[in-house]
Parts: sequence; C-alpha cells; structure tokens
Amino acid sequence: MEFQQPSRRLFILNLIIGMLVGILVVRLWQVQVLQGASYLRQSEENRIRDYTLTAPRGIIYDRKGRPLVRNRPAFTVAVLPLELRNSTPVIQRLASILTISPQEITARIDRNRPRLFEPVRIKRDAGSHVVAMIEENRLDLPGVIILPEPVRDYVHGKMAAHVLGYLGEIDPTELAARQVEGYKPGDLIGKAGVERAYETVLRGTDGRLRMEVDALGRPLRVLSRAPAIPGRAIVLTLDLDVQKAAYDALQASGMQAGAAIAMDPRTGDILAMASIPSYDPNLFAISISPQVWQAITTDRSKPLLNRAIAATYEPGSVFKLVTATAALDHGIVSRRTMFDAPGYFQLGQWTFGDLRAWGRIDFLTGFANSVNVVFYTLGYRLGGEELAKYAFLMGLGELTGVDLPGEINGTIPSPSTKEQLVGEPWFPGDSVNMSIGQGAVTVTPIQVARMLGGIATGGPLLQPRVVLMTYDRTRSAHPSEPYVQRSVPYQDSTLALLREGMRAVVERGSGYGARVEGLPMAGKTGSAENPRGKPHAWFAGYAPVAEPRIVVVAFVEHGFRGGISAAPVARAMLRAVFPRPADVQVPR
Amino acid sequence: MSRRLLRYLDWPVLAATCILVAGGAVVLYSAVQNSGDAGALVRARVLHAIFGLVVLALAAFIDYQTIARAWRPILGTTLFLLLAVLIVGRSSMGAQRWIPLGPLGGFQPSELAKLALIITLAKHMDGHKELTSWRDILPVLAQAAVPIALVVRQPDLGTSMVLTAIVAVMLFAGGAPLRAMGAMGAGAAAVAPMAWRILHDYQRRRLLVFIDPGADPLGAGYALIQSKIAVGSGQVFGKGLLHGTQNLLHFIPEQHTDFVFTVIGEELGFIGAALMLALFVVWLWRGMSIAAQAKDRLGMLMAVGVVGMIAFHLFINVGMTLGLMPITGIPLPFISHGGSALVAMMGATGLLLNVGMRRKKIRF
Repeated sequence: MEFQQPSRRLFILNLIIGMLVGILVVRLWQVQVLQGASYLRQSEENRIRDYTLTAPRGIIYDRKGRPLVRNRPAFTVAVLPLELRNSTPVIQRLASILTISPQEITARIDRNRPRLFEPVRIKRDAGSHVVAMIEENRLDLPGVIILPEPVRDYVHGKMAAHVLGYLGEIDPTELAARQVEGYKPGDLIGKAGVERAYETVLRGTDGRLRMEVDALGRPLRVLSRAPAIPGRAIVLTLDLDVQKAAYDALQASGMQAGAAIAMDPRTGDILAMASIPSYDPNLFAISISPQVWQAITTDRSKPLLNRAIAATYEPGSVFKLVTATAALDHGIVSRRTMFDAPGYFQLGQWTFGDLRAWGRIDFLTGFANSVNVVFYTLGYRLGGEELAKYAFLMGLGELTGVDLPGEINGTIPSPSTKEQLVGEPWFPGDSVNMSIGQGAVTVTPIQVARMLGGIATGGPLLQPRVVLMTYDRTRSAHPSEPYVQRSVPYQDSTLALLREGMRAVVERGSGYGARVEGLPMAGKTGSAENPRGKPHAWFAGYAPVAEPRIVVVAFVEHGFRGGISAAPVARAMLRAVFPRPADVQVPR
Repeated sequence: MSRRLLRYLDWPVLAATCILVAGGAVVLYSAVQNSGDAGALVRARVLHAIFGLVVLALAAFIDYQTIARAWRPILGTTLFLLLAVLIVGRSSMGAQRWIPLGPLGGFQPSELAKLALIITLAKHMDGHKELTSWRDILPVLAQAAVPIALVVRQPDLGTSMVLTAIVAVMLFAGGAPLRAMGAMGAGAAAVAPMAWRILHDYQRRRLLVFIDPGADPLGAGYALIQSKIAVGSGQVFGKGLLHGTQNLLHFIPEQHTDFVFTVIGEELGFIGAALMLALFVVWLWRGMSIAAQAKDRLGMLMAVGVVGMIAFHLFINVGMTLGLMPITGIPLPFISHGGSALVAMMGATGLLLNVGMRRKKIRF
C-alpha cells in the first residue's frame, strides 16, 4: 500500500512556520530599523557615565596674602541611584558604616529622584577609615561610590566667620532660581559673608569626566575629559593680625556679645570685622548634621548674626558727635560756651539725669567727659528734625553698602516720621533724649565706623569694603577701586572742634582706656541705655590724629561703660595696626 | 546503495547547518571574547561541532527504520539519564540539568530527550495509522508525559515546553482530530495555574516582567530591556563583529547562551540577523519538503518532529530577545553555547537528512 501524505496538514504547518518567521522579520525591522536610533542612544547611555569633577572654590587671602580659606582634599561618599540594585541591604550596610540612619540615606536619594544618573552625596569629608571600609566592601555595595571632593577649610575657625561666611547645600528655591548657572541639587553654595556675596567669583566651573563603564558600572576607560576650572582667588581687605586682635579682645571682654571694626577711612578697607558670639564655618563645610544646625540656629545668643552690620543698637553718647556737629554748624555753641551741669536737666515736669554734677563747665570739657546736660541743652534747642537731618547727613540710619550680605538700616527718628509711624506727636523730651543717642535711635556699628571716617578725613564717606581684589582665570589681579559715596559738608571750624574734643576724650576723658602710648588719637565713648539690660558699651575713634589711617569701632552688648569694656577692644586693634617695636615678635 | 543515498542527500540543509554552526562559532567567540577563557570556550565549540558531525553522519546513514526499531533502548537510556540527573546532576540556576563528564564538560540528558521523544513518538504513531480515537491518542500522550514530567522536575521550563511543542506538532501532522487537539489545548490551559506553583521565583518574575518590563527595570526586567537595546542599537548594518558595546560591557546576562542572538543583532545589524533567519528558512523549508516527500509515515513524522523542534526553538529564542516572548531558557539552535544542545540539534539534522535520503523513488 502506497503511503498517503497528509499534505493538507503539512501545508498548514508550513504556513505556521512561515508566519512565525514573518513575525520575527517584521519585529526585527521594527526594532532595528525603525526604532534603531533610539535604542542606539540608549545603549550609549548605558555605557557612558559622566563624572563631575568638582571645581575647587577660590581661595580667600587676607590683605597680606595669608590664606584665610582654602581647600583641603577629601572624599565624599555618594550613591548612584540607578546602580543601586537591591537597595535595602546596601543602604543598611552603608548606614552602619557611616553611622547614620538608613532613613537619612533614603530621604537624600528620594530628594534626588528625577535625576537617576547623578550621584547623590551621602557624606562629605568621609574619614579615611570610612573610605577604606567602603573600598573593602566594594562588592557588597553596588552603586556606592567615592568621589574626590575638596572640602572648604576655614583656617582660623571662628575668628573671621562673619566676614568669610559659610557654605551649605543649595536649597530648592535657590536652585530653581540659579539652575541656569549650572547648579545641581546637592551643590554647595555660599550662604553668608564673602562666600555668599562673591559666590560667582569663588565658584569654579565643574569639569566632566566621561567614562565608559561596564554593566556593573565599573569604569573601563576615559572617553573624554573636560577639566574643572577652579574658582578665582580673592584678596580681602582684612588684616589677619588686626582681625585676630579684634576677635581676641572681644572674647577677652568677658561679655556675651559684641562687634569690632577697624577700617581705613581713606579707602573704606575693612581691616578687621569681628562679631561674637561666633561659630565655626568648618562645621558647615561638610554637610552639617541636623542636630548641629538646630543648635546653632535656635541658640538665643544668635551666633550666626554679624553684629557689625546686621544688628542695630542705641548709639548712646556716640550720637553726641551728631548733636555737637549740628550745634556747632548752627553757631549755638562754641568752645568757650559755658554750661551749668548740676547733674540733671529739667524740662517742665520731667527730669533727665546725668552721672554726676559737674558744676559750671565749658563745652570742650563737657564734650571730653560726655556730660549729658550739655547735650540735653543743645538737643533741646536744635529740635528733633535738625538732629535727624545731621544724623543722616553724617551717615547714620542708612546702608553703608558694605559688600557683605545682610546689612540693615537702623532707625533715626524725627518729628515727621514719628507722627507717621507711631501716630504720636514729637515731644520736646524726645529731642532731649535723642541728643544723647537714646530713645528710638538705633544704628549699626559699621555706620558708626563710616561716620568716624568722615570726621577723620574731613568729609568723604567711603563705601566700606572687604574685598581688595579678585584674580581672574589668567591669574592677573583686578583691584577694586575705593568708592567715595558722598562728602559730608563739614565746616572747618566744626571739624576742628570735634577733633579737639575727641582727642580730649582719649587723653583725659572717658576714652582713656583706648589710649596707645605714643599714638595721637581721637575717640568717643558711649554707654547706651537699653530696655534689655545693662547699657551697651561703645568706643569709636581714629588714629593718628594728624593723618588718620584707621578708624576703630568697638561695641560690647551690655558692656556697661564704653571706656571700660569697649575701649580696650579698640586699643587692641590699634596696637595691631601700629605695633610698637616691643610688640613685634622676633623669631629667635 | 550509498551512491543512491548521496544522490538524495539534501545539500541545502547540510550547507545551512554547517554555515550556522561555523558562523555561530564566530558570534560565540565575540560573545565571550573578553571573558578570560574565550580560547577554551571556542576550542570546546570546535570539539563539539566535530563530535556533532559524527553524530549527524551516524543519524543520517543508519536507516531511520532501524533507529526507530531501537526506540526501547533509546527511550530507556533517556529516562534513566533523566532520573540520574535528578540524583547526581550538577545544579545551575537553581535547576539540576547536568551530568558531569569530566573533560567533555557536562552532558544535558534533556537535550537527548528531545531526540528520543521524536523517535519514539514517530514509531508509536506509525503503529496507529489513524489517531481518530482517544484510545489511540492517550498512549501517545502517556509516553510523552514521562520524560516531560522528569524535565519539569529539574525544573527546566524551556525544555519541557519544547517537548510539549514536539508532541503537539507531531500529533497534528499525524492526523489527530482537531477536536482532540483543541481538548488537549484546553486541558493544558487548565493545568497551567498548577504549573505556576512549581516554578522557581526567578521564573515567575520572568513571566511577570514580560507583561510589564518597566515594573522592575534593574531586576528581572533588566535582561528583557537590555537585550532589546542591544538588538535595536545594531540598526541596519550593526556595530561590527566584536564591537557590540552591550556585548563587550556585559549588559546582557547569559549573552553566550540563551541571548546569543543579541550579539548577532547588535554587531551584524538587521542584515546579519536577516541572513541568519534566511539560513533557518532554507533549513525549515527544505525540512518540510523532506517531510512531504518521505517514503513512509514514520519518516514523515520524524521529519516533522525535527522541523517543529527547530522552528519552536528559533521562534521562542529570537522572540524572547525581541521582547515578543517571555524569558525562558531555550537556546538558539546551532549557535548558542552548549555542547549537548549542539550535538542534539546536529543529530536531529542527521535524522532529517536520513529521511530525505531514503525518500520514495521518483517515478519515471
């Protein structure tokens, strides 16, 4: 019997096989020809990793070229979210190595969610034993990487913290505003001081290392390299010696809070600007832990506050410079004008007190000894409007324009503004109070410094500055020019008398404590009564008298007597600026 | 006698087989080029290919009716080895599939099972000229069920699917009523949920990510996504032999075994992949015409079994790398790394040529 082929069934099988192969061909066409370009891109993304080469920030020097802020090589532990396969045990393990909680790591990764290719920094400035431990456990920690990232090193810690500022991770709102400048989540940005004001100068341009990696993310070879461009260096106007003297003297005052400024009145150069209590910017240089941040920001003594520019205080007797200038200009007083100083000033039913009774004295004696009754009398005659006018004219109550962030105005009250703001009329007693810098008058120490500069140099108000010059990429220096904002129209006779009075303050009056042997200087003390406790202590002065090169302002919160607690701070700064031969340390 | 045999030898099938094996060895070299023991792997491949040619010749020249008559020892040996592998087998990927053979590497009895099933089913169905009643069909199923069950026990999902496909294709070609085929299909569908329970976790995940590859892009869905990227990125002309980045940088797991097609797609592009498919089309088309011209039902069934097996392998394997099929461990015939599979496939080719050489006389 001849075998009969079931040809119909074989035909169907043939058809099925043909169809299946057809499906494969169509699919191949679809994947390779139609979508090929997209898959090619994906395969490139697969094999290429861009590593950011962190650009070191610019170094900050003092005016004599001594580094105040520099960069220290360090390692950052980071995580590549895309390569974090099987994340739970890896995060657990990493957390135990870094001794932080796994939740903190997860939270950091989640914040970076939309950018899976970017490393998420977990810990900056990881210690060498941590780095060694991670390298040893490399195989158990896929997706964990070590990045070489320099860490900011504030060489002198707390000493110049408020001028230098600190860094912090860019926050979301800042990031949204500055993304076009190339900021990425987790980048460090200046948060205060010079670090913030000169962010664009100090910040370099990050480089990029393009690497080919295998499926486990292990780098195989370098495809291209765009080197990091370091940030530009800055030379500050600060003089490390004066700064140190200012900070140490403030600390030595034994008081909680205060500020000290040394400024060259001819250029506006800030040679020293110290504020206590201070903080250590190095704590912020690595990602600050929430606990430390909490402790610093909620500290009632406000260590982050730069009291030299961002806090206002009653000027007290320092304001008598304004009262005296107004009275001299108006001719209602001269050096020989005699006053009766019985220890109080009677205005109707109100009595304004003084420290002691002086009897009958001339104006210069009254000025040198800061006799309140003398100024009560003058202020009463001048009136509030005139006092306010002269205060503004001499540079109080307005921003000095110092190149640091956070400066505030203060208040100079006047009859018109009091009506507007408080809704109460200006009483004659307000003028009396204002004449000695009490009442609603508040100023910042830097305003006082600028005012003193005007008196010292005969009128010009220089914009205070902390940056002397910046370097550009080719390492050539760009000095910043001193800027005369305006000139106070002092009458020569007024200036002469003011200066004579201020000399007397230091030589035989309330400012004796600021005196430096052999240095002719002028100054004014102040004890500003305030509702919060003992009076604030002020000393403002300049030296040398004939050819002023330096203005010093020392302020101590609740320091009681300017001559006692503030004057020594000023003296310390002056000693640093004008060292006597005996003060110079000769290396043996 | 042997002259007549050689005259009827199907040269296109033999040529396609040799080109696939030789070309496959080159692709395989590319897949393992930076694995450290690339040389050893290629030497093993050449050794296996030579051994495969010997098996092919034996399977071609010993009359297939003689082979079929020896179905009992063949099936017996296979079952014995399948049992043995469960006891002494070497484990890989959570399954016991290997019998260590010292210098020859390992031997996978499940590959032998494919051939044994084709031979015994053909022999058995040849005895039942009509498969019209369940009384004829059930013994066939019972006979197939034993090796399938043993393979499932390893567990080797891929091979058990191949064996099932062989049974289905041979039953269909053997003339089983469509109603019976439908009933068996429905039965298989009913048993499928039970099969879910015996699967390993990784196998379940593979099936789940096939439905939604994005669900776990770095875990189980990884291979699926990366293999598509590899094939797609080859575009029309490929990245050049030995230059596939997905291949070189090990983005594809198992790139020299089940995913070897990604190397072809990536490095040789659409042109290379289509050329490979064309070789398989020649092979399958000639295979079906050998089946159609077989001189008896036994030969026809053997040929259909072999062709069905190769076609199933091809579609499932390539379909898997293209995201058409879930990931199952089914090798690409003649190309994937694995000596047992290569020898079995070449033996199957020999069997096909055997049927072809002994086709009915052409009438004058």
